Amino acid sequence: MRRVAVTGIGIVSPLGHTINDLFDAARNGRSAVHRLEIAGAERLAGPLAATVQFDGSAFFEPARERLLDRVSQFAVVAAARALADAGGELTDHERSNAGVFVGTGMGGTLTVDSGYETLYGKHSDRTHPMTILKGMHNAPAAWIGIEQGLRGPNLTYSTACSSSSVAIGEAWLRVATGMLDVAVAGGAEAPLSLGSLSAWGAMHTLASVDSVDPASSCKPFAKNRSGLVLGEGAALVVLEPWERAIARGATIHGELIGYGLTTDAGNIARPSVDGQAAAMRAALAAACIRSEQIDSINAHGTGTQANDSVETGAIKLVFGERARRIPISATKALHGHLLGAAGALEFVLSLLALKNNVALPTMHLQVPDPECDLDYVPNVAREGAAGRTMLSNSFAFGGTNAVLAVRAVH
Amino acid sequence: MTTTDRIRAMLVKDYKIDPDRLTADARLEDLGIDSMGLAELMFNIEDEFRVTVPDEQIQLSTLGDVANYIDKLMARNDSAPATPAAMADTAASTGGVNTQPAS
Repeated sequence: MRRVAVTGIGIVSPLGHTINDLFDAARNGRSAVHRLEIAGAERLAGPLAATVQFDGSAFFEPARERLLDRVSQFAVVAAARALADAGGELTDHERSNAGVFVGTGMGGTLTVDSGYETLYGKHSDRTHPMTILKGMHNAPAAWIGIEQGLRGPNLTYSTACSSSSVAIGEAWLRVATGMLDVAVAGGAEAPLSLGSLSAWGAMHTLASVDSVDPASSCKPFAKNRSGLVLGEGAALVVLEPWERAIARGATIHGELIGYGLTTDAGNIARPSVDGQAAAMRAALAAACIRSEQIDSINAHGTGTQANDSVETGAIKLVFGERARRIPISATKALHGHLLGAAGALEFVLSLLALKNNVALPTMHLQVPDPECDLDYVPNVAREGAAGRTMLSNSFAFGGTNAVLAVRAVH
Repeated sequence: MTTTDRIRAMLVKDYKIDPDRLTADARLEDLGIDSMGLAELMFNIEDEFRVTVPDEQIQLSTLGDVANYIDKLMARNDSAPATPAAMADTAASTGGVNTQPAS
């Protein structure tokens, strides 16, 4: 197996468009969650979201912009930023075998929602001719390939909330085993349509609005947590063999050392302590490290009743008594739940936490829950506490658990 | 306002194309309009011109070809419903941009 370096990061996130802005907001606990202002928002149970400030016309020619759903626009922009950050122009030979691995839970749901509104809401048969091409789940990955001329494997993973951790993990496997020398991997999501929000609300998974401060509505691991807040955006990274990165003098953000993937094969919605624990153990095994070597964790930490207590139990199962001494960060309180892009954005935050050796805070944790009794770094970042090696957890409806193990360069 | 002028106005407004490039002999491909772009343009033309484009493959090369196609379509619409057979003489040709993508 080859060592795998992360040499490029590109984001389009509710907390900003650069890694400096993202990390600064996460470190200082600035929430992007706000009341959602879309037509029909008053009909939603939890009219909240973490949205991205984004104008597609700043990045695309009009004729091209019209072909891309918002999710594909996010993906293309984030991938371009990641490749620019990685530096060095790829040769045509390198592009001919460079891979693209993208996770998305809901694909072009805004386009699909609009098509349904036309058909069922307006009773019109004027379905837009771009509906399929904009709405299909593999459009974000396809457009990255088209825009960057990357002609190797072009794969889309849709495992709900673990999609982009799976995408990064599968890319890691191919780079580590020598199948690929360059991979662009991550996730994109643009789920903030009325139809999507209504469906999420119908599951009783969305947070209710904090009447005092809507920005603090998502409260992972707190006793008074009421659910998740949907977010949008994209995060893509460039993976390459360590030796190649060193040889070309690239800046290395961190090392992806392992990836664990398990399936609950139990309940489609209710998470499993055993399944999550197995994924963390699988990541440790793939990284060839012991649990004692994990210094901190970026939790899945959605703010739902079920996830946070089950994840707490899984961490205890893997780390035993030491679990209480491991700093655990749940950053979804700030950037929302990006669903298929969540794992990728949190992987990036894990890289940045390690790079700066700062354990990021779990915000809005004012009321402790006896069932969630670990060290979640409540409300204030902890300098010098991220350590050298982290796990980034992503768990999903459908029971697909994906865990990435990351090591700092320092 | 001629048909060409109206299509030109649509392309300036929706595609932000420089009006100076929108001559009758301007090739669609050179304007960045590929097969799906033409399909979308026809969709918008249906709204603009209140016509129904028949469900058929359309293969057109230039802006002038698009205008001629629409003019014939409107003329047919005035007398009889447009059908693929009725439009076959303008739609079927070689070269140019085709509205039907391969799957």
